[in-house]
This record gives sequence, structure tokens and C-alpha cells, in this order.
Amino acid sequence: MLRRRAFFALTAAALAVSACGIKRVNRVDPNSVTDLSGRWNDTDSRLVANQLITQSLGANWSRDWSAANLGEAPTVIIGEFRNRTMEHIAVGTFVRDLERAYIQSGTVKVVASSSERQEVRDERADQQVNASAETRAKLAREQGARFMLQGDVQAIQDSEGREQIVYYQIDATLIDLESNTKVWVGQHKIKKYIQRRRLTP
Amino acid sequence: MNPTIYLRASALLALAACAPYPQRVNETPIMVNGDRVQATDASAAAPLVASERDAMRATIDSLYALAIAGASNAVREAVARGEVTIGMNENQVYAATRSTPDAWAVRRASGSSVMVPAHTSAAPKDKLGEMVMVQLEGGAAAVLSRRGPQGILVASRPQDATAAAQGKAAAEALIREGDDLVASNDLAGALNRYDRASVLDPEAAEVQYKAARLLDLQLRPQEALMRYQRFLLSLDIERIKAQGEANAKMAEAIAMAQQRILVLEKQVR
Repeated sequence: MLRRRAFFALTAAALAVSACGIKRVNRVDPNSVTDLSGRWNDTDSRLVANQLITQSLGANWSRDWSAANLGEAPTVIIGEFRNRTMEHIAVGTFVRDLERAYIQSGTVKVVASSSERQEVRDERADQQVNASAETRAKLAREQGARFMLQGDVQAIQDSEGREQIVYYQIDATLIDLESNTKVWVGQHKIKKYIQRRRLTP
Repeated sequence: MNPTIYLRASALLALAACAPYPQRVNETPIMVNGDRVQATDASAAAPLVASERDAMRATIDSLYALAIAGASNAVREAVARGEVTIGMNENQVYAATRSTPDAWAVRRASGSSVMVPAHTSAAPKDKLGEMVMVQLEGGAAAVLSRRGPQGILVASRPQDATAAAQGKAAAEALIREGDDLVASNDLAGALNRYDRASVLDPEAAEVQYKAARLLDLQLRPQEALMRYQRFLLSLDIERIKAQGEANAKMAEAIAMAQQRILVLEKQVR
């Protein structure tokens, strides 16, 4: 009898232990702050996008350009955003957010970047042969950009024992393609203090 | 010796080692897990931007109406072409450059006024180039300055403000630049400037002669020969002869070119 009880108790314990290892997935609010490792994450990307959007739309460069150009919105091409850190940082997330904000607000017109336009050009070239005359997109009607958005992400790390400081600086620059003048410079800084516990549960 | 002292000391050391690591950073977190960071919605700014743009376009439309009212046909055509010309008034300058008064800084003093771009990064332009300054005398544009690839181009007569005259001025600037390069022994650079100048101003005979001399010095006889011939062809020789002494320098160049042609033709054969 005692042996049987012990067997059931052991089986129940084994089941309980294995249940702890079952994968659990929950959908959470994309706006929530979820810092796990201390590395670059979605919150950082969102913070950067928000700051760059606010700074860019609040600046006067677009209005000044419109005042000198028939009230038209300036045209921007998204250039390269370099990740100069040792970490993998998906810079495309906040760059896309910025691009979306430009289009939504109507502040500027955004043209396809060098990586995007080749496919479009291929399709247009294909239409010249295969599409009917009235529906084919005409050649040499692309809109040239007047400004290029470039930027980079840099990081500084400092650590001692179980403590670590990670500092990210994100710089975005809008350059006049004709004169090379920097008409707007946006910047956001993030500093994280990471403290690791001695014992993990 | 009591061994318990060692035991107590090691216990104390072990406790100290287990104690929390001394924190050197005592900053209050500005954001913790569970907080919310809302993504910025830029569409809220759209109505404001749209109304700003509409206001600008309305201003430009009013300026067009004011610019055209009572204007001569030549001015109307220039406004339609988007070209600032001598004699235009302030509103016509706005209309010709498709800009609003916000794009300009205007300083007025006893009948004269000066219009300069309000922002260097967004300078108004007309068909011929970026405007640097418009000087008005008695309400009419008297001197126009535009930014060109070779510096500021100034026009103070109606014939100077045309595209052809601006090309001529740019060619002159290129010839000057070429002469400076010859002086600093950059012969290839100088030849490049002379070539560009000859395209901008095909009637400039002097530039053909300078290019021919350079090629001759570089021991490129065939090209030099062609340039000398082009120089002579581009000259109205009869006119030069009639001007006599006044064009002694040019006459000397003609004689030199003719002489070199004879020599080079023999060499090339």
C-alpha cells in the first residue's frame, strides 16, 4: 500500500515539474514596456521613432521650403541608417515609423529608396512590353528627391561586476541633395542601467 | 588558539560576499516594465499641415493676380515662364519665383529695397537659378543676382537677365577659372573649363584659341590643329581687321594661329 502511494506521489511530482516547462504564449499590448535582457528592443525603437517624429515635424525646414516652392511639400528619400554598435539593431523599424509619419502628416513626400525602386523599375520596364498602351506607366516620370534622410545608431557600454550601463545615441540628418546642407538634425539618447541578480529563480 | 575565531571570521566573510553587490548607480528609473509607450500618431498633424499649405497657395494665387494686373505682355510672359526680369516689381518677383513673402527678407530704404532669401537652405528660384538678391529701385528690379556653378551671376540690364546671357556669364567665369588653373599648372583642369565654356558660349573665339594653345603645349598636334582652325572659323576676320589697332591682341592671336596651323599640318602629315 505504502509503495503504491509513493509511486502516485512520485508520478504527480514528475507531472508537476514537467508542467513548469510547458511553453506559454500571451499576446500583450505592443505599446507595453517589456525589458528582458537589457539589449535594444521594441520600446527603444518606439521611443526613438516618437522623438524623431516630434522633432522632425516640429522643425521649420519643411515650411520654409514650401514657402519658397509654390507651397509644395518637399520630397525626401530615405538613405542609409547605419548600425554602428556591436549589437543587432533593426533600424528599419523606427525608420519606417518616421517614413509613415511623414506621409500621414503630409509634411513631406517620400520617394522609394534605392533598394525599393529597382523592383518598381523592373515592373515599369516590363509594362512597356506587356501592358496595353493606355494602362502602361510612362518612363522617366519619377520624382527626384530634394532631401535625403540619413542616420546612425551608436552605443557606449560600461560594466563592472554585475552592473552594466548601455548608452545609445541615435542621430538622424536631413541633407539637401543639391547643396549638401544639413537642414535638420534629430537626436535621441537612451541610457539603460542593467543590474543582474546573483541568484536566478 | 581558539579555532572558533577562524570559524567566525570565515562566516563573516561569507556573509559579506553574499550581501547585495554595492550599487554605485542610484538613479530613479524613468520607465519600468509594464509602463506604456504610445506610438506617435502623425495623422493628427495632417489638418494643420494641410491648412498651412492651403494658406500658402492662396497667398501665391493672390500674388499672381496682383503681379499680372496692369503688367506688360513681356512681364506676363516672364511670370508664366517663371523668370525674374529687370523692371519687375516685388509682387512679380514673388510670382515669377513661385514663392511667398515668407521666403524673402525685404529691407527698404528711401525708394530702394533689397530682397534676399529668408532662409539660405530654402532660397527661392526662378527658371535660371537660385536667387541670391534682387535690388529694386523705385519699386522695379534693377539688379538681379543668382547663384551659378561658378559663383554669383549678376544682371543689371534686360539683355543680361536672359538665359543666353546667363550662359555667357557662366562661360566667362569658366574661362577665368581655366586661366587660374593654367597659372597653377593644372593644364587638364584648364582644358576641361575651356571646353565647358565653349559649349555654354559657342561664339567665344578666345576660348578656342586658349584651348588650342594648351593642346599645342601638351604636344597634341592633331587636336591643337583642329582648335586653331575652329578659332579662325569662329572669328569674323573681316570685322577684326576693320577694328585694326583696337584688336591688336586678337590680330596677333590670329597670326599665331595661322602660323601654327601651317606647322602642325606639316607635322601631322
